[in-house]
Amino acid sequence: MSVDNKVWITAEAYLAKNLSTDELGLLEIKIGEDKNFASEFHDACSLLRSLNNAGSQQKFKNNLATINQKIKEESAVKPRKIALSMQYLRTAGVAAVVAILASVGSMWVMEHNSHNNTSKYSELRKEIRSDLENIKQSQSRIIKDLNNKANKPQIENKYSGTGFALSNDGYLVTNYHVTKGADSLYIQTRDGNYYKAYTVSFDATADIAILKIQAKNFKFSKNAQIPYSFANTKSGLGTQVYTLGYPQNDAVYSEGYISSRNGYLGDSLQYRLELPADPGQSGAPVLDASGNIVAIVTAKESKSVGTTFAVSTKAMLKLLRGIPESVNIRLPKSSKLTNLSRNQQIEKIQDFTCVVKVYGN
Amino acid sequence: MQHPLNREQILLEGLVANDRLATEQVYRDNHKTVIAWVSARGGSSTDGEDVFQEAMVILFQKAQQAEFRLSCKIGTYLVAVSKYIWYKKLQQQQRQPDFLPHGNGDEDGVHEDRIYEDDIKVQEEREVHFEQLNLALEELGEPCRSLLKAFYNEDKSMQEIAKSFGYTNQDNAKTQKYKCLTRLKKLFYNAQVNK
Repeated sequence: MSVDNKVWITAEAYLAKNLSTDELGLLEIKIGEDKNFASEFHDACSLLRSLNNAGSQQKFKNNLATINQKIKEESAVKPRKIALSMQYLRTAGVAAVVAILASVGSMWVMEHNSHNNTSKYSELRKEIRSDLENIKQSQSRIIKDLNNKANKPQIENKYSGTGFALSNDGYLVTNYHVTKGADSLYIQTRDGNYYKAYTVSFDATADIAILKIQAKNFKFSKNAQIPYSFANTKSGLGTQVYTLGYPQNDAVYSEGYISSRNGYLGDSLQYRLELPADPGQSGAPVLDASGNIVAIVTAKESKSVGTTFAVSTKAMLKLLRGIPESVNIRLPKSSKLTNLSRNQQIEKIQDFTCVVKVYGN
Repeated sequence: MQHPLNREQILLEGLVANDRLATEQVYRDNHKTVIAWVSARGGSSTDGEDVFQEAMVILFQKAQQAEFRLSCKIGTYLVAVSKYIWYKKLQQQQRQPDFLPHGNGDEDGVHEDRIYEDDIKVQEEREVHFEQLNLALEELGEPCRSLLKAFYNEDKSMQEIAKSFGYTNQDNAKTQKYKCLTRLKKLFYNAQVNK
Protein backbone atom coordinates (compact mmCIF):
# COMPACT_ATOMS: atom_id res chain seq x y z
CA MET A 1 0.00 0.00 0.00
CA SER A 2 1.53 3.29 -1.07
CA VAL A 3 2.01 6.36 1.10
CA ASP A 4 -0.73 8.22 -0.80
CA ASN A 5 -3.31 5.58 -0.03
CA LYS A 6 -2.41 5.72 3.61
CA VAL A 7 -3.07 9.45 3.82
CA TRP A 8 -6.47 8.99 2.19
CA ILE A 9 -7.43 6.02 4.36
CA THR A 10 -6.49 7.92 7.50
CA ALA A 11 -8.30 11.06 6.33
CA GLU A 12 -11.45 9.10 5.49
CA ALA A 13 -11.45 7.35 8.84
CA TYR A 14 -10.73 10.62 10.65
CA LEU A 15 -13.65 12.42 9.00
CA ALA A 16 -16.00 9.50 9.59
CA LYS A 17 -14.86 9.60 13.25
CA ASN A 18 -13.80 5.96 12.98
CA LEU A 19 -10.45 6.40 14.70
CA SER A 20 -9.95 5.04 18.19
CA THR A 21 -8.50 7.27 20.92
CA ASP A 22 -5.13 5.54 20.52
CA GLU A 23 -5.12 6.04 16.78
CA LEU A 24 -6.08 9.69 17.21
CA GLY A 25 -3.19 10.11 19.62
CA LEU A 26 -0.73 8.59 17.15
CA LEU A 27 -2.12 10.78 14.38
CA GLU A 28 -1.62 13.91 16.46
CA ILE A 29 1.96 12.96 17.21
CA LYS A 30 2.65 12.32 13.53
CA ILE A 31 1.12 15.65 12.56
CA GLY A 32 3.28 17.37 15.14
CA GLU A 33 6.48 15.68 13.98
CA ASP A 34 6.08 15.41 10.23
CA LYS A 35 5.31 18.77 8.64
CA ASN A 36 5.05 17.20 5.20
CA PHE A 37 2.50 14.66 6.34
CA ALA A 38 0.61 17.33 8.24
CA SER A 39 0.02 19.43 5.15
CA GLU A 40 -0.81 16.39 2.99
CA PHE A 41 -3.28 15.24 5.60
CA HIS A 42 -4.81 18.67 5.93
CA ASP A 43 -5.31 19.02 2.15
CA ALA A 44 -6.73 15.51 1.92
CA CYS A 45 -9.27 16.20 4.66
CA SER A 46 -10.43 19.46 3.18
CA LEU A 47 -10.76 17.94 -0.31
CA LEU A 48 -12.79 15.03 1.07
CA ARG A 49 -14.98 17.43 3.03
CA SER A 50 -15.62 19.46 -0.11
CA LEU A 51 -16.43 16.36 -2.16
CA ASN A 52 -18.80 15.03 0.48
CA ASN A 53 -20.46 18.38 0.92
CA ALA A 54 -20.75 19.05 -2.81
CA GLY A 55 -22.27 15.59 -3.25
CA SER A 56 -24.83 16.00 -0.51
CA GLN A 57 -25.75 19.50 -1.67
CA GLN A 58 -26.33 18.09 -5.14
CA LYS A 59 -28.58 15.41 -3.68
CA PHE A 60 -30.45 18.05 -1.71
CA LYS A 61 -30.96 20.15 -4.82
CA ASN A 62 -32.20 17.12 -6.72
CA ASN A 63 -34.66 16.49 -3.90
CA LEU A 64 -35.88 20.08 -4.12
CA ALA A 65 -36.40 19.78 -7.86
CA THR A 66 -38.37 16.54 -7.44
CA ILE A 67 -40.49 18.01 -4.66
CA ASN A 68 -41.19 21.13 -6.71
CA GLN A 69 -42.23 19.00 -9.65
CA LYS A 70 -44.48 16.91 -7.40
CA ILE A 71 -46.17 19.94 -5.84
CA LYS A 72 -46.79 21.42 -9.27
CA GLU A 73 -48.38 18.25 -10.52
CA GLU A 74 -50.62 18.08 -7.46
CA SER A 75 -51.78 21.66 -7.76
CA ALA A 76 -52.53 21.07 -11.41
CA VAL A 77 -54.89 18.26 -10.40
CA LYS A 78 -56.52 19.57 -7.24
CA PRO A 79 -56.06 23.22 -6.38
CA ARG A 80 -57.68 22.93 -2.97
CA LYS A 81 -55.48 22.13 -0.01
CA ILE A 82 -56.67 21.61 3.53
CA ALA A 83 -54.35 22.82 6.27
CA LEU A 84 -53.56 20.30 8.98
CA SER A 85 -53.29 21.55 12.51
CA MET A 86 -50.99 19.80 14.93
CA GLN A 87 -53.56 17.72 16.75
CA TYR A 88 -54.52 15.98 13.56
CA LEU A 89 -51.00 14.82 12.84
CA ARG A 90 -51.73 11.24 13.80
CA THR A 91 -54.79 11.07 11.61
CA ALA A 92 -52.73 12.79 8.97
CA GLY A 93 -50.10 10.10 9.36
CA VAL A 94 -52.64 7.40 8.70
CA ALA A 95 -54.00 9.40 5.81
CA ALA A 96 -50.49 9.79 4.43
CA VAL A 97 -49.95 6.04 4.53
CA VAL A 98 -53.25 5.53 2.75
CA ALA A 99 -52.25 8.18 0.24
CA ILE A 100 -48.91 6.53 -0.38
CA LEU A 101 -50.58 3.16 -0.88
CA ALA A 102 -53.13 4.77 -3.15
CA SER A 103 -50.46 6.52 -5.18
CA VAL A 104 -48.45 3.33 -5.49
CA GLY A 105 -51.70 1.74 -6.62
CA SER A 106 -52.38 4.45 -9.13
CA MET A 107 -48.80 4.41 -10.32
CA TRP A 108 -49.29 0.76 -11.03
CA VAL A 109 -52.43 1.57 -12.95
CA MET A 110 -50.62 4.29 -14.87
CA GLU A 111 -47.78 1.94 -15.57
CA HIS A 112 -50.28 -0.61 -16.70
CA ASN A 113 -52.05 1.86 -18.93
CA SER A 114 -48.90 3.19 -20.40
CA HIS A 115 -48.01 -0.33 -21.39
CA ASN A 116 -51.24 -0.49 -23.31
CA ASN A 117 -50.34 2.75 -24.97
CA THR A 118 -46.88 1.80 -26.05
CA SER A 119 -48.19 0.69 -29.37
CA LYS A 120 -49.28 4.24 -30.08
CA TYR A 121 -46.18 6.17 -29.08
CA SER A 122 -42.72 5.25 -30.11
CA GLU A 123 -39.62 7.23 -29.42
CA LEU A 124 -37.52 7.92 -32.42
CA ARG A 125 -34.10 6.89 -31.34
CA LYS A 126 -32.66 4.40 -33.70
CA GLU A 127 -31.30 1.06 -32.57
CA ILE A 128 -28.29 -0.09 -34.50
CA ARG A 129 -28.43 -3.76 -35.31
CA SER A 130 -25.48 -5.60 -36.66
CA ASP A 131 -27.37 -7.03 -39.60
CA LEU A 132 -27.69 -6.14 -43.24
CA GLU A 133 -28.86 -2.63 -42.46
CA ASN A 134 -25.50 -1.88 -41.04
CA ILE A 135 -23.72 -3.18 -44.06
CA LYS A 136 -25.78 -1.03 -46.34
CA GLN A 137 -23.89 2.04 -45.32
CA SER A 138 -24.23 4.93 -47.63
CA GLN A 139 -21.40 5.59 -49.94
CA SER A 140 -20.56 8.93 -48.44
CA ARG A 141 -20.21 7.36 -45.03
CA ILE A 142 -17.76 4.78 -46.39
CA ILE A 143 -15.78 7.53 -48.01
CA LYS A 144 -15.79 9.43 -44.74
CA ASP A 145 -14.57 6.34 -42.93
CA LEU A 146 -11.84 5.84 -45.46
CA ASN A 147 -10.56 9.24 -44.57
CA ASN A 148 -10.04 7.71 -41.15
CA LYS A 149 -11.80 10.32 -39.10
CA ALA A 150 -10.40 11.44 -35.82
CA ASN A 151 -11.56 9.96 -32.53
CA LYS A 152 -13.87 7.35 -33.99
CA PRO A 153 -14.65 4.85 -31.23
CA GLN A 154 -13.59 1.27 -31.91
CA ILE A 155 -16.95 -0.32 -31.28
CA GLU A 156 -20.24 0.35 -33.02
CA ASN A 157 -22.74 2.53 -31.25
CA LYS A 158 -25.93 1.14 -29.80
CA TYR A 159 -28.39 3.92 -30.58
CA SER A 160 -28.33 7.07 -32.56
CA GLY A 161 -30.30 10.28 -32.66
CA THR A 162 -29.93 13.79 -33.97
CA GLY A 163 -28.69 16.86 -32.17
CA PHE A 164 -28.27 20.52 -33.02
CA ALA A 165 -26.11 23.33 -31.74
CA LEU A 166 -27.15 25.79 -29.03
CA SER A 167 -23.92 27.69 -29.27
CA ASN A 168 -20.99 27.46 -31.65
CA ASP A 169 -18.60 26.40 -28.86
CA GLY A 170 -20.09 22.96 -28.41
CA TYR A 171 -23.35 23.07 -26.46
CA LEU A 172 -26.06 21.09 -28.19
CA VAL A 173 -29.50 19.72 -27.51
CA THR A 174 -31.08 16.35 -28.19
CA ASN A 175 -33.78 14.15 -26.66
CA TYR A 176 -33.27 12.77 -23.18
CA HIS A 177 -34.41 9.32 -24.33
CA VAL A 178 -31.60 9.23 -26.87
CA THR A 179 -28.97 9.63 -24.16
CA LYS A 180 -30.70 7.56 -21.49
CA GLY A 181 -28.53 4.76 -20.14
CA ALA A 182 -25.51 5.78 -22.18
CA ASP A 183 -22.04 4.78 -21.07
CA SER A 184 -20.61 7.30 -23.44
CA LEU A 185 -21.85 9.75 -26.02
CA TYR A 186 -20.21 10.81 -29.23
CA ILE A 187 -21.41 13.22 -31.80
CA GLN A 188 -20.52 13.07 -35.44
CA THR A 189 -20.49 16.41 -37.19
CA ARG A 190 -21.20 17.11 -40.82
CA ASP A 191 -17.56 16.61 -41.80
CA GLY A 192 -17.71 13.10 -40.35
CA ASN A 193 -15.49 13.74 -37.32
CA TYR A 194 -16.35 12.21 -33.98
CA TYR A 195 -16.30 14.17 -30.73
CA LYS A 196 -16.92 12.94 -27.22
CA ALA A 197 -19.75 14.70 -25.40
CA TYR A 198 -21.22 14.67 -21.93
CA THR A 199 -24.61 15.59 -20.48
CA VAL A 200 -24.82 19.04 -18.90
CA SER A 201 -28.46 18.89 -17.87
CA PHE A 202 -31.63 17.09 -18.75
CA ASP A 203 -35.38 17.06 -18.16
CA ALA A 204 -36.79 13.56 -18.38
CA THR A 205 -40.42 14.70 -18.44
CA ALA A 206 -39.93 17.13 -21.28
CA ASP A 207 -37.51 14.65 -22.90
CA ILE A 208 -34.70 17.13 -23.45
CA ALA A 209 -30.99 16.76 -22.78
CA ILE A 210 -28.32 19.44 -23.08
CA LEU A 211 -24.92 18.07 -24.08
CA LYS A 212 -21.49 19.63 -24.32
CA ILE A 213 -18.67 18.53 -26.53
CA GLN A 214 -15.67 17.82 -24.38
CA ALA A 215 -12.93 18.97 -26.74
CA LYS A 216 -11.63 22.41 -25.89
CA ASN A 217 -11.71 24.96 -28.70
CA PHE A 218 -14.40 22.96 -30.47
CA LYS A 219 -16.45 24.95 -32.97
CA PHE A 220 -19.38 23.67 -34.98
CA SER A 221 -18.33 26.03 -37.72
CA LYS A 222 -15.05 27.90 -38.02
CA ASN A 223 -16.39 30.78 -40.06
CA ALA A 224 -20.15 30.94 -39.55
CA GLN A 225 -22.45 31.79 -36.66
CA ILE A 226 -25.50 29.75 -35.72
CA PRO A 227 -28.03 30.83 -38.36
CA TYR A 228 -31.26 30.01 -36.55
CA SER A 229 -32.89 31.40 -33.42
CA PHE A 230 -35.24 29.86 -30.87
CA ALA A 231 -38.93 30.64 -30.61
CA ASN A 232 -39.88 31.46 -27.03
CA THR A 233 -43.61 31.35 -27.53
CA LYS A 234 -45.64 28.49 -28.93
CA SER A 235 -46.40 28.70 -32.64
CA GLY A 236 -49.93 28.52 -33.97
CA LEU A 237 -51.90 25.73 -35.50
CA GLY A 238 -51.14 25.17 -39.15
CA THR A 239 -47.65 26.75 -39.08
CA GLN A 240 -45.57 25.27 -41.89
CA VAL A 241 -42.51 23.55 -40.48
CA TYR A 242 -39.61 21.42 -41.66
CA THR A 243 -36.95 19.30 -40.06
CA LEU A 244 -33.47 18.05 -40.77
CA GLY A 245 -32.34 14.85 -39.06
CA TYR A 246 -30.20 11.77 -39.35
CA PRO A 247 -32.24 8.58 -39.68
CA GLN A 248 -29.30 7.44 -41.80
CA ASN A 249 -25.80 8.76 -42.12
CA ASP A 250 -26.85 11.54 -44.43
CA ALA A 251 -29.07 14.38 -43.39
CA VAL A 252 -32.73 13.87 -44.32
CA TYR A 253 -35.15 16.71 -44.91
CA SER A 254 -38.90 16.47 -44.39
CA GLU A 255 -41.64 19.03 -44.11
CA GLY A 256 -45.15 19.35 -42.73
CA TYR A 257 -47.26 21.50 -40.44
CA ILE A 258 -48.32 21.86 -36.82
CA SER A 259 -51.50 19.84 -36.55
CA SER A 260 -52.15 20.47 -32.87
CA ARG A 261 -50.63 22.82 -30.32
CA ASN A 262 -50.64 20.01 -27.77
CA GLY A 263 -48.85 16.72 -28.16
CA TYR A 264 -49.33 13.12 -27.16
CA LEU A 265 -52.35 12.73 -24.86
CA GLY A 266 -52.67 16.51 -24.70
CA ASP A 267 -49.10 17.08 -23.45
CA SER A 268 -48.78 20.87 -23.47
CA LEU A 269 -44.98 20.77 -23.66
CA GLN A 270 -45.31 19.18 -27.07
CA TYR A 271 -46.70 19.86 -30.51
CA ARG A 272 -48.37 17.33 -32.72
CA LEU A 273 -47.05 17.54 -36.26
CA GLU A 274 -48.03 16.06 -39.57
CA LEU A 275 -44.51 15.44 -40.71
CA PRO A 276 -42.89 12.12 -41.58
CA ALA A 277 -40.05 11.09 -39.26
CA ASP A 278 -38.03 7.93 -38.81
CA PRO A 279 -35.99 6.41 -35.99
CA GLY A 280 -32.76 8.33 -35.64
CA GLN A 281 -34.53 11.62 -36.12
CA SER A 282 -35.12 12.06 -32.41
CA GLY A 283 -33.63 15.36 -31.34
CA ALA A 284 -33.86 16.94 -34.79
CA PRO A 285 -34.76 20.63 -34.96
CA VAL A 286 -38.20 21.65 -36.25
CA LEU A 287 -38.03 25.06 -37.94
CA ASP A 288 -40.61 27.47 -39.25
CA ALA A 289 -40.32 29.22 -42.58
CA SER A 290 -38.29 32.13 -41.23
CA GLY A 291 -35.71 29.95 -39.56
CA ASN A 292 -36.86 29.93 -35.95
CA ILE A 293 -36.52 26.61 -34.20
CA VAL A 294 -39.96 25.93 -32.72
CA ALA A 295 -39.56 22.36 -31.48
CA ILE A 296 -37.47 19.21 -31.22
CA VAL A 297 -38.64 15.95 -32.80
CA THR A 298 -39.16 13.32 -30.12
CA ALA A 299 -41.56 10.56 -31.06
CA LYS A 300 -44.16 9.43 -33.55
CA GLU A 301 -47.49 7.75 -33.41
CA SER A 302 -46.76 4.11 -34.07
CA LYS A 303 -49.86 3.18 -35.91
CA SER A 304 -50.09 6.03 -38.33
CA VAL A 305 -47.60 7.27 -40.85
CA GLY A 306 -46.67 10.90 -40.63
CA THR A 307 -47.85 11.90 -37.16
CA THR A 308 -44.89 13.07 -35.15
CA PHE A 309 -44.58 14.63 -31.71
CA ALA A 310 -42.09 17.35 -30.95
CA VAL A 311 -41.14 19.14 -27.71
CA SER A 312 -41.54 22.89 -27.90
CA THR A 313 -38.43 25.07 -27.57
CA LYS A 314 -40.25 26.80 -24.73
CA ALA A 315 -39.65 23.69 -22.62
CA MET A 316 -36.02 23.70 -23.71
CA LEU A 317 -35.52 27.36 -22.82
CA LYS A 318 -37.01 26.65 -19.42
CA LEU A 319 -34.48 23.89 -18.84
CA LEU A 320 -31.69 26.24 -19.95
CA ARG A 321 -32.78 28.86 -17.45
CA GLY A 322 -32.34 26.28 -14.70
CA ILE A 323 -28.68 25.73 -15.54
CA PRO A 324 -26.26 27.58 -13.24
CA GLU A 325 -25.04 30.89 -14.62
CA SER A 326 -21.47 29.66 -14.52
CA VAL A 327 -22.35 27.40 -17.47
CA ASN A 328 -22.29 30.10 -20.04
CA ILE A 329 -24.44 29.17 -23.03
CA ARG A 330 -24.84 32.09 -25.38
CA LEU A 331 -27.86 31.38 -27.51
CA PRO A 332 -28.10 32.92 -30.98
CA LYS A 333 -30.25 36.03 -30.74
CA SER A 334 -31.66 36.42 -34.21
CA SER A 335 -32.31 34.27 -37.23
CA LYS A 336 -30.13 34.84 -40.25
CA LEU A 337 -32.35 32.66 -42.40
CA THR A 338 -35.38 34.88 -42.79
CA ASN A 339 -34.99 35.92 -46.39
CA LEU A 340 -33.23 32.86 -47.72
CA SER A 341 -34.68 30.13 -49.92
CA ARG A 342 -35.29 26.76 -48.32
CA ASN A 343 -32.21 25.28 -50.02
CA GLN A 344 -29.99 28.02 -48.69
CA GLN A 345 -31.50 27.66 -45.22
CA ILE A 346 -30.80 23.94 -45.13
CA GLU A 347 -27.27 24.41 -46.37
CA LYS A 348 -26.59 26.81 -43.48
CA ILE A 349 -28.31 24.68 -40.84
CA GLN A 350 -26.50 21.49 -41.74
CA ASP A 351 -23.20 22.60 -40.21
CA PHE A 352 -24.97 22.91 -36.88
CA THR A 353 -26.75 19.57 -36.81
CA CYS A 354 -25.05 16.33 -35.93
CA VAL A 355 -25.57 12.64 -35.26
CA VAL A 356 -25.63 11.72 -31.58
CA LYS A 357 -24.18 8.24 -31.11
CA VAL A 358 -24.85 6.39 -27.92
CA TYR A 359 -22.64 3.64 -26.60
CA GLY A 360 -23.71 1.35 -23.83
CA ASN A 361 -25.28 -1.91 -22.92
CA MET B 1 -48.56 15.26 20.77
CA GLN B 2 -45.26 16.78 19.76
CA HIS B 3 -44.21 20.10 21.09
CA PRO B 4 -44.02 22.56 18.20
CA LEU B 5 -40.36 23.35 18.92
CA ASN B 6 -39.66 19.68 18.97
CA ARG B 7 -41.23 19.38 15.54
CA GLU B 8 -38.91 22.10 14.22
CA GLN B 9 -35.91 20.29 15.66
CA ILE B 10 -36.95 16.99 14.08
CA LEU B 11 -37.49 18.66 10.71
CA LEU B 12 -34.07 20.32 10.88
CA GLU B 13 -32.37 17.06 11.74
CA GLY B 14 -34.14 15.43 8.81
CA LEU B 15 -33.00 18.26 6.55
CA VAL B 16 -29.38 17.84 7.64
CA ALA B 17 -29.57 14.10 6.97
CA ASN B 18 -30.94 14.78 3.48
CA ASP B 19 -34.19 13.06 4.35
CA ARG B 20 -36.69 13.40 1.51
CA LEU B 21 -39.80 13.55 3.70
CA ALA B 22 -38.49 16.17 6.09
CA THR B 23 -37.28 18.27 3.16
CA GLU B 24 -40.67 17.96 1.53
CA GLN B 25 -42.44 19.01 4.74
CA VAL B 26 -40.30 22.13 5.11
CA TYR B 27 -40.81 22.87 1.43
CA ARG B 28 -44.59 22.56 1.68
CA ASP B 29 -44.75 24.61 4.86
CA ASN B 30 -43.07 27.62 3.31
CA HIS B 31 -42.88 27.74 -0.46
CA LYS B 32 -46.21 29.48 -0.99
CA THR B 33 -45.35 32.39 1.28
CA VAL B 34 -42.12 33.04 -0.58
CA ILE B 35 -43.60 32.64 -4.06
CA ALA B 36 -46.44 35.02 -3.18
CA TRP B 37 -43.98 37.52 -1.72
CA VAL B 38 -41.75 37.47 -4.80
CA SER B 39 -44.74 37.60 -7.14
CA ALA B 40 -45.93 40.74 -5.38
CA ARG B 41 -42.55 42.35 -6.09
CA GLY B 42 -42.27 41.96 -9.81
CA GLY B 43 -41.09 38.35 -10.00
CA SER B 44 -42.68 35.41 -11.79
CA SER B 45 -43.70 32.30 -9.91
CA THR B 46 -40.60 30.60 -11.36
CA ASP B 47 -38.48 33.39 -9.87
CA GLY B 48 -40.22 32.71 -6.57
CA GLU B 49 -39.44 29.00 -6.78
CA ASP B 50 -35.80 29.70 -7.62
CA VAL B 51 -35.41 32.12 -4.74
CA PHE B 52 -37.09 29.74 -2.32
CA GLN B 53 -34.91 26.82 -3.41
CA GLU B 54 -31.78 28.92 -2.97
CA ALA B 55 -32.93 29.78 0.53
CA MET B 56 -33.55 26.09 1.24
CA VAL B 57 -29.99 25.25 0.13
CA ILE B 58 -28.61 27.96 2.41
CA LEU B 59 -30.56 26.58 5.35
CA PHE B 60 -29.41 23.06 4.46
CA GLN B 61 -25.75 24.12 4.46
CA LYS B 62 -26.07 26.23 7.58
CA ALA B 63 -27.72 23.40 9.46
CA GLN B 64 -24.81 21.06 8.54
CA GLN B 65 -22.54 22.94 10.93
CA ALA B 66 -22.22 21.34 14.32
CA GLU B 67 -22.52 24.62 16.19
CA PHE B 68 -25.67 25.58 14.34
CA ARG B 69 -28.64 26.80 16.38
CA LEU B 70 -31.56 28.47 14.74
CA SER B 71 -32.64 31.44 16.81
CA CYS B 72 -36.01 31.69 15.06
CA LYS B 73 -38.49 29.40 13.39
CA ILE B 74 -37.49 27.64 10.18
CA GLY B 75 -40.18 29.50 8.29
CA THR B 76 -39.09 32.90 9.57
CA TYR B 77 -35.52 32.20 8.53
CA LEU B 78 -36.44 30.94 5.06
CA VAL B 79 -38.69 33.89 4.32
CA ALA B 80 -36.12 36.41 5.55
CA VAL B 81 -33.28 34.87 3.52
CA SER B 82 -35.54 34.66 0.46
CA LYS B 83 -36.26 38.37 0.72
CA TYR B 84 -32.55 39.18 0.75
CA ILE B 85 -31.89 36.89 -2.21
CA TRP B 86 -34.64 38.58 -4.19
CA TYR B 87 -33.43 42.09 -3.37
CA LYS B 88 -29.96 41.04 -4.38
CA LYS B 89 -31.26 39.70 -7.69
CA LEU B 90 -33.13 42.92 -8.36
CA GLN B 91 -29.99 44.85 -7.58
CA GLN B 92 -27.94 42.72 -9.95
CA GLN B 93 -30.46 43.28 -12.69
CA GLN B 94 -30.17 46.96 -11.84
CA ARG B 95 -33.87 47.31 -11.71
CA GLN B 96 -33.66 48.83 -8.29
CA PRO B 97 -30.17 49.98 -7.43
CA ASP B 98 -29.23 50.42 -3.79
CA PHE B 99 -32.30 49.10 -2.18
CA LEU B 100 -31.67 46.70 0.61
CA PRO B 101 -34.01 46.82 3.56
CA HIS B 102 -31.70 47.74 6.39
CA GLY B 103 -33.46 47.09 9.66
CA ASN B 104 -35.77 49.57 11.28
CA GLY B 105 -32.97 51.52 12.86
CA ASP B 106 -32.84 49.46 16.02
CA GLU B 107 -29.65 47.58 16.84
CA ASP B 108 -31.26 44.18 16.81
CA GLY B 109 -32.66 44.53 13.31
CA VAL B 110 -29.32 45.58 11.86
CA HIS B 111 -27.67 42.63 13.51
CA GLU B 112 -30.14 40.18 11.93
CA ASP B 113 -29.67 41.82 8.52
CA ARG B 114 -25.95 41.18 8.67
CA ILE B 115 -26.52 37.51 9.45
CA TYR B 116 -28.76 36.96 6.43
CA GLU B 117 -26.39 38.79 4.10
CA ASP B 118 -23.44 36.82 5.44
CA ASP B 119 -25.27 33.52 4.99
CA ILE B 120 -26.00 34.36 1.37
CA LYS B 121 -22.42 35.45 0.77
CA VAL B 122 -20.98 32.31 2.34
CA GLN B 123 -23.20 30.21 0.10
CA GLU B 124 -22.11 32.14 -3.00
CA GLU B 125 -18.48 31.50 -2.10
CA ARG B 126 -19.30 27.86 -1.53
CA GLU B 127 -20.89 27.56 -4.97
CA VAL B 128 -17.77 29.09 -6.54
CA HIS B 129 -15.64 26.61 -4.63
CA PHE B 130 -17.81 23.70 -5.82
CA GLU B 131 -17.62 25.01 -9.34
CA GLN B 132 -13.83 24.93 -9.20
CA LEU B 133 -13.97 21.45 -7.76
CA ASN B 134 -16.22 20.44 -10.62
CA LEU B 135 -13.84 21.94 -13.17
CA ALA B 136 -10.99 19.96 -11.63
CA LEU B 137 -13.17 16.84 -11.81
CA GLU B 138 -13.89 17.45 -15.48
CA GLU B 139 -10.21 17.95 -16.14
CA LEU B 140 -9.44 14.60 -14.49
CA GLY B 141 -10.96 12.74 -17.42
CA GLU B 142 -12.30 9.22 -17.40
CA PRO B 143 -12.62 6.92 -15.58
CA CYS B 144 -11.72 9.08 -12.58
CA ARG B 145 -14.44 11.64 -13.16
CA SER B 146 -17.23 9.05 -13.32
CA LEU B 147 -15.78 6.99 -10.51
CA LEU B 148 -15.60 9.89 -8.07
CA LYS B 149 -19.04 11.14 -9.11
CA ALA B 150 -20.51 7.68 -8.60
CA PHE B 151 -19.07 7.58 -5.10
CA TYR B 152 -19.67 11.14 -3.92
CA ASN B 153 -22.72 12.25 -5.89
CA GLU B 154 -24.64 9.07 -6.51
CA ASP B 155 -23.95 7.29 -3.23
CA LYS B 156 -22.74 4.13 -4.96
CA SER B 157 -20.90 1.68 -2.73
CA MET B 158 -17.34 0.65 -3.62
CA GLN B 159 -18.73 -2.79 -4.38
CA GLU B 160 -21.17 -1.42 -6.97
CA ILE B 161 -18.43 0.78 -8.39
CA ALA B 162 -16.03 -2.16 -8.68
CA LYS B 163 -18.71 -4.01 -10.62
CA SER B 164 -19.81 -1.24 -12.97
CA PHE B 165 -16.27 -0.05 -13.75
CA GLY B 166 -14.99 -3.58 -14.25
CA TYR B 167 -12.54 -3.91 -11.37
CA THR B 168 -11.92 -7.45 -10.18
CA ASN B 169 -12.59 -6.58 -6.56
CA GLN B 170 -13.44 -3.82 -4.15
CA ASP B 171 -9.83 -3.27 -3.08
CA ASN B 172 -8.72 -2.60 -6.64
CA ALA B 173 -11.55 -0.11 -7.02
CA LYS B 174 -10.49 1.57 -3.77
CA THR B 175 -6.88 1.82 -4.87
CA GLN B 176 -8.10 3.39 -8.10
CA LYS B 177 -10.27 5.81 -6.12
CA TYR B 178 -7.28 6.91 -4.02
CA LYS B 179 -5.22 7.37 -7.18
CA CYS B 180 -7.97 9.54 -8.60
CA LEU B 181 -8.20 11.54 -5.37
CA THR B 182 -4.44 12.14 -5.40
CA ARG B 183 -4.62 13.47 -8.97
CA LEU B 184 -7.68 15.54 -8.15
CA LYS B 185 -5.92 17.04 -5.17
CA LYS B 186 -2.99 18.13 -7.36
CA LEU B 187 -5.28 19.61 -10.01
CA PHE B 188 -7.50 21.34 -7.51
CA TYR B 189 -4.85 22.92 -5.32
CA ASN B 190 -2.72 23.91 -8.29
CA ALA B 191 -5.72 25.68 -9.74
CA GLN B 192 -6.22 27.41 -6.40
CA VAL B 193 -2.62 28.60 -6.33
CA ASN B 194 -2.69 29.84 -9.91
CA LYS B 195 -5.85 31.75 -9.39
